[in-house]
Amino acid sequence: MQKVDRRILYGILVVAVCVGLFFPSTIRTDPDPSSKSFYAEIQKLQPGSTIIVQTDWTNSTRGESLGHFENLMRLVMNGDHKFIFYSAADPAAPQVARTVIATIVAERKAQGLKEYRVGEDYVDLGYFPNAEATNTSMGANLRAAWAGRRSKMPDGNEIDIFKTPVLSKVQRIEDCQMMIVVTASQSIDIAVQRLAKKVPISALVTGVVGPTVLPFYQSGQIKGVAVGLKGVYDMEYLMEYGINDTEIEGRKYVTWDKPGAVKKIEKGTRFARGRQYYGTLHVALTLLILAVVMGNVAMFAARRRKGDQV
Amino acid sequence: MNLFPSMMAQAVETNMWKQLPGPSLYGMVVLGLVLGIILCLVLSRVPSNMRRWVIVGFTFMAGLPYVAAFLWPTPIGANFTEDLPRNGAEQIGFFLNQAMEPVGTITNIIQGFLLGVGFYSLVRIHSTKIRRKQENWGFSIVLLTCFVLMATFGLLDWKMRTFEDKTGALNTQENWTFVNYAQDFLFAGLYQQMDSAMFSMIAFFILSAAYRAFRIRSVEATVMMASALILMLNLMGALTFAQGQLMEQMAANTDNLFLLNFKINTFANWLRSTMQIPALRAIDFGVGLGALAMGLRLWLGLEKGGVT
Repeated sequence: MQKVDRRILYGILVVAVCVGLFFPSTIRTDPDPSSKSFYAEIQKLQPGSTIIVQTDWTNSTRGESLGHFENLMRLVMNGDHKFIFYSAADPAAPQVARTVIATIVAERKAQGLKEYRVGEDYVDLGYFPNAEATNTSMGANLRAAWAGRRSKMPDGNEIDIFKTPVLSKVQRIEDCQMMIVVTASQSIDIAVQRLAKKVPISALVTGVVGPTVLPFYQSGQIKGVAVGLKGVYDMEYLMEYGINDTEIEGRKYVTWDKPGAVKKIEKGTRFARGRQYYGTLHVALTLLILAVVMGNVAMFAARRRKGDQV
Repeated sequence: MNLFPSMMAQAVETNMWKQLPGPSLYGMVVLGLVLGIILCLVLSRVPSNMRRWVIVGFTFMAGLPYVAAFLWPTPIGANFTEDLPRNGAEQIGFFLNQAMEPVGTITNIIQGFLLGVGFYSLVRIHSTKIRRKQENWGFSIVLLTCFVLMATFGLLDWKMRTFEDKTGALNTQENWTFVNYAQDFLFAGLYQQMDSAMFSMIAFFILSAAYRAFRIRSVEATVMMASALILMLNLMGALTFAQGQLMEQMAANTDNLFLLNFKINTFANWLRSTMQIPALRAIDFGVGLGALAMGLRLWLGLEKGGVT
């Protein structure tokens, strides 16, 4: 048993993981407190708020980050907020984000919801090579940090970003209502270190980065964080049921130890990628736990055999 | 007292770092260019035994604005773009904080140049490899071909979308040309998929490691495995929800609320907030102190590695 061919393990993994993808199902869950905080914070914003989105992920972490970013776009567009996006970590990240935004805009258009338009509802700032310098400059003087950047408008013309409806009223970073970092790296640390005192920060991070971000959440330096694939599903679940909002058979569907209710989302897509992948996560984790148990059973069996031989 | 009034024109649209378009700005650009060329020429002539001091000097100068801005006292809640300094000390604080943005811009530009250096290095190494037909030179051809194709179609697509497509017609796939399809195929069809595929291979290593390496060999290993198990179970919503319902029912039936502590997600949250986060915070403190010490050594030129 100790010498199980690794190709057998790999084969079991491939089959087990792929099967789940074809049978997406809504699984009852209790979203993490940090996910609830994220959802509550973004739903608290007044329509038309300005949000800075720092998108520092590419397709290497698509399994988690793509779901996070899609959910974020749905939440932001549902709240009719304006947003600015850029990357301070990877040159390919803005292009990846553009693709996702186009997908969500098309999805909403097909659903008869407001179609977000570049320049009017959001601004694309592209890539900044150095996260420390960029975040520090943004904190010191936002207008100067982004000076000279131009945005395309729906009519095809280009204008200075500070003349667009998105940023025309923004003088400094404090005028933005929230900053959200979608990341698979430590760029969230840099954002917290440089900007947490100036603008409320929330984050959507991968499972690997999650544990390093939780100290910031516990200390209140970030307002909310959704971690990994569970975080993606949590967010979809919260969009579908809200917090202390939906009641079924007299019982609240999602409860929280804080007073008040956070409304669910009425229109547009709620369950999407998280729902599709969550079953697979169950299968993969079960497999992982089984592998650990079997590995230990095999080790003890081998020890016993050795003991018998002695 | 006004210190260097011409350098520290606060609360106005223009200052030393920020000029409006016009003869003054163009003059500064030309002056900067000339000084930059002179600096490059001078640096290339520096004797090799002096180069270390050049690097140390530049490192010190690069770090100085950030250190000075952090340490120099400023009024609490000051708005460095709109407020006016009340005395000389505040003027220096305002000047340093206003300098953050141009210093950041310079850092971003220099880092941008690193991409150029990377491009040059990549092309030089792989073209040499192909020319000399060194081992695996075929892969170098693939790399350079992909590099050229991606750059060409990426730039053409960007040019079309930015300068030629005034109505946003290219946002709809029906209006795409060969260039847009090629860019989409290369970036979304190949690059992104390969990127994802590379990362997904980690799953196989994790499974193999779980089977072969995660063993209960000591008390510490047992505690770690138990914690990991609880946190993994906590990710499985179906299980935690069912177990949570069961514990709630048991607590209600026995009137023993203590049982609620045994809900997997309650226990996992306790583990996270009481064990994991404090441990991480302690590690962060250690790493932070180490980074500070290393940063100081680098900034003050005490670290020999990297500059010799």
